[in-house]
Amino acid sequence: MENETTPKKGLSRTTIIVAFAILLGFLALLGWGLRNAQAGPVQVGQKVPTFDLTTFDGEVVSTSDLQGKVIVVNFWASWCKPCEQEAADLERAWQIYKETDDVYFFGVAYVDIEPKSRAYIEKFNITYPNGPDLRTTISTMFRVRGVPETYIIDRQGKLAAFKIGPYSSLGEIQAMIDPIILQ
Amino acid sequence: MITNIGYGSLIITFVLSLYGIVAAIYGERKNLYRFVESARVAMLLTFPMLTLVALSIITLLVTQHYEVQYVYNTTSQSMPIYLKITALWGGQSGSLVFWAWLMSAFASAVSIRKWSRDRDLLPWVIVVSLVTLAFFLSMIIFFENPFQRFWASPGSREIVAMFQPAGTQLLIPNDGRGLNPLLRHPGMVIHPPMLYLGFVSFVIPFAFGIAALITGRKDDRWIRLTRRWTLVAWMFLSIGLILGSRWAYDVLGWGGYWAWDPVENAALMPWLTGTAFLHSVMIQEKRGLFKRWNMILVILTYSLVIFGTFLTRSGVLSSVHAFAQSAIGPMFFIFIGITFIISLALLIKRWGDLKSEGVMHSLLSRESLFLLNNLLFIGILVVVFWGTVFPLISELLTGQKVTVAAPFYQRSTAPLFAGLLLLMGIAPLSAWGHSTWKTLGKAMWKPGLLSLIVLLGMIISGVHSIGALLGFWLASFAFFITIHEFWRGTKARHKRSGENYLTAFFRLAARNRRRYGGYLIHLSVVLMAIGIIGIEGYQTETQAKLKAGESIQLSGYTVTFKSLAEFDTNDGRNVARAVLDVSKNGKNLGQLYPRRDYFYDSQQPMTIPGVRSTIEDDLYIVLVNWEQISSGSATFKVFHNPLINWLWIGGILLIFGSFVAAWPDQERSLQLERKLASQNSSVVPVSSSD
Repeated sequence: MENETTPKKGLSRTTIIVAFAILLGFLALLGWGLRNAQAGPVQVGQKVPTFDLTTFDGEVVSTSDLQGKVIVVNFWASWCKPCEQEAADLERAWQIYKETDDVYFFGVAYVDIEPKSRAYIEKFNITYPNGPDLRTTISTMFRVRGVPETYIIDRQGKLAAFKIGPYSSLGEIQAMIDPIILQ
Repeated sequence: MITNIGYGSLIITFVLSLYGIVAAIYGERKNLYRFVESARVAMLLTFPMLTLVALSIITLLVTQHYEVQYVYNTTSQSMPIYLKITALWGGQSGSLVFWAWLMSAFASAVSIRKWSRDRDLLPWVIVVSLVTLAFFLSMIIFFENPFQRFWASPGSREIVAMFQPAGTQLLIPNDGRGLNPLLRHPGMVIHPPMLYLGFVSFVIPFAFGIAALITGRKDDRWIRLTRRWTLVAWMFLSIGLILGSRWAYDVLGWGGYWAWDPVENAALMPWLTGTAFLHSVMIQEKRGLFKRWNMILVILTYSLVIFGTFLTRSGVLSSVHAFAQSAIGPMFFIFIGITFIISLALLIKRWGDLKSEGVMHSLLSRESLFLLNNLLFIGILVVVFWGTVFPLISELLTGQKVTVAAPFYQRSTAPLFAGLLLLMGIAPLSAWGHSTWKTLGKAMWKPGLLSLIVLLGMIISGVHSIGALLGFWLASFAFFITIHEFWRGTKARHKRSGENYLTAFFRLAARNRRRYGGYLIHLSVVLMAIGIIGIEGYQTETQAKLKAGESIQLSGYTVTFKSLAEFDTNDGRNVARAVLDVSKNGKNLGQLYPRRDYFYDSQQPMTIPGVRSTIEDDLYIVLVNWEQISSGSATFKVFHNPLINWLWIGGILLIFGSFVAAWPDQERSLQLERKLASQNSSVVPVSSSD
């Protein structure tokens, strides 16, 4: 901390350089973190980290078990009116794709009350795995800004496409997923 | 109209601060004191100007001008008026204005003090204060203007702008979106102002410290001048932290009071260095030691304040406290970088001048124990800092943002806090310059014995956890020593002056506020420690799904679920409220009503636990889940939090103690007391070097 006895005038050059290096290193780290924070949603083509979803049924599904498959991640909430607009279409899309075993759907309830989420799932007869976004880790990973948002991960685990806001039809959902299956 | 007044005043204040900076530097360089004087007046004026800005925003909020984006985003018709006023700090831009406003209040207050003795410091104090202020103002003006309004263009696109874009009309929504319901809590109404006050008042000691560095003054004048500022800043920061914990306990519904969230840490870090600073300045005052260290601490404290503000507002680390992301991140980053680099450069430049005037003689002297205290505080800081930035480092190295969880902090800081408790007991008994085990032991054995009796009592009564025993023993040790100190002082005064004990006690404390205020704070820390050990070591919890009439047991309590009702209120909430009977050992203790409020306007839920508080423990029940009225069952989480209320009682005492310590002394009584003190009240024989 302090050198009480040595009659030194100032600091040695090495100490100064080390002090500045530490400071600049810290600033660089902050700057880098800031750049990431400002980057907005995950970019298409970026590798998406795997995640676990604890469903409302208490099961844990993991995207790491689904390598080589196309994964559709839909963020929604029971309080979100636009989400209701696409809910039935998403379920219909799931009914179509689940036969192929190529595409998996995940629903993530974003900042929601559990009973209301359950009621929402029941209301729209949603059958693909749905769960709460515990500690908002999943939405943070995708840098979700609001709901609904849908992200489609390709067979290589990279983000292939995303949709901010609700889908307006089943056709729109298929138009987005089909080319990714064929890749 | 009001928006224009507010925005105009904002611009004028910004120009004033820029002018003040330039005039102060020019006056100092050219030795033209009238320019410095003019800069001082400019600094003085920032406060009334920003008051006008704050009042404009408050007027807009209260009069429901929903065409103003900020008003729309933070208030709604159903909110009571006090919440509309406090919405001033409920959103990003408003809270920046509030920050700047408080900052200007302190800057103005500094500018009206008597400067005749410290003219050389004045220009640089002005520069540092006004640069900080100007930075915040520039962010408000260029990035987060709270006066922007909604405009509708013919193509029905909505535009947010300060001034009317061509071909548009003002768009006036009927109602706003309302304040985040989590912030609609009395604790939240006061918590941010207190924290901000703590933050901004640390700017002043920093400004003096930097002024001393620039002018090359080697004496401890800057420390004496800012001692009270520091204490006030520290007090506000402490209040902010305590209120924040209380809010978390009441509102967040997870049975705890501190989550080691990045933003909580951001407020804790300057508090840690500030507390270390409060102790180490005494060493510089009394012994001329630690000059460099104090400078480092004051720079660190200010830097951590700015760093904390940056963390909260840039979205670099995700947190429950984070504001919406905005463009101010990069600006803030540049400001932080410049502040850090200049401070470090100045410190390096003056390093040789800040040599200590003395040396430490004895391991047990007050100064060396204070040094140890400082090291412990810095140790805690390092832990907290590391935990806070770890997600960034892990993301950089592994690509995964790994958040450090509470157990890491608890495990690593607990021994350091224990060390602080021990020092809190020993250090007040040691003398400046030189102490020995013999003198210390003489002063310590009685309270030490009492604390051992407490320890024995606890073992007999069935406490077996080593950690809790050690914690409680240290707490009682520090407690008895502090009480003993009060007693010794009172007794000495009683003997000397013939006053009765009560009078002697009050006069003693009144005449030596800093010291006895400090002891009160020590006592409060002991009480808080008891609460913290209680909840950390002995909190129990259980969760169960109950049908009406079913019960759940926890720590002797029986909780019976009676009924649940779901209804809408006329202030825009949907409430689900459960009724529970509480009894202990067959004795009925009344009912608790945990509920879940859902706010329609902001589309957010809020958990309000049902809490039964005694000084012994809290029974804390959260309504987790409920099903349709048909099945009539609900899930509850029940926490038993022993001793938690001592945390809040300690908090109140801490505020009181800080008031006592910070209250201005009258010069005359101070001198008298010094005379008396030198005759009688020192606790152990004081060495000749004092």
